Amino acid sequence: MKNRLRVLRAEREWSQADLAQRLEVSRQSVNAIETGKFDPSLPLAFKLARLFETSIEAIFSDEG
Amino acid sequence: MICSTNNPAQRRFFYRFAVAMLLYAALLVPTILAFVHYRPAGLMAYALAVLPALPILGMLIVIGLYLAEEKDEFIRNLQIQSLLGGIGLTLALVSVWGFMENFTRVPRLDLFLVYPIFWGFVGISAFVVWMRNR
Repeated sequence: MKNRLRVLRAEREWSQADLAQRLEVSRQSVNAIETGKFDPSLPLAFKLARLFETSIEAIFSDEG
Repeated sequence: MICSTNNPAQRRFFYRFAVAMLLYAALLVPTILAFVHYRPAGLMAYALAVLPALPILGMLIVIGLYLAEEKDEFIRNLQIQSLLGGIGLTLALVSVWGFMENFTRVPRLDLFLVYPIFWGFVGISAFVVWMRNR
């Protein structure tokens, strides 16, 4: 699944490790989600959306 | 096992696993000595023979607890893939070996070896899973 995590992270100048710490997951998880290798569960997607103060649809896209 | 730093579920897993391993060693030695020196028979022999296997059952429960307690869903997913790979490879090996034992002259595979073989395969599987998800 495509996502805008890298952009959102860059806007806040967070490293993958910073985001991982905020999400309480491993850096490997953040990397896997960011590169589209792993689709997060709904609870984790909501957590991401809340963290970036946006909607899930604004982060993830199932098109293209 | 695929390890990530600062993971409380993994720390608990390694601690519990080590305790089970120590229990295994602690039960295996006296069991062997009891069979060598006292040659127990009947129900006592069965009960004694099962004793060292109990910590191994404990290790399987420890794996279940870890999977239930692992909060990082990506890491949990990788661990489940590694364990499934290990289970699949072990079943494949013992099935093929079983038929070879029936029809050829391959040496007999002792059943107690299946468990360490399983962990060897989990290790190989974890390496492949990790390389694919780096």
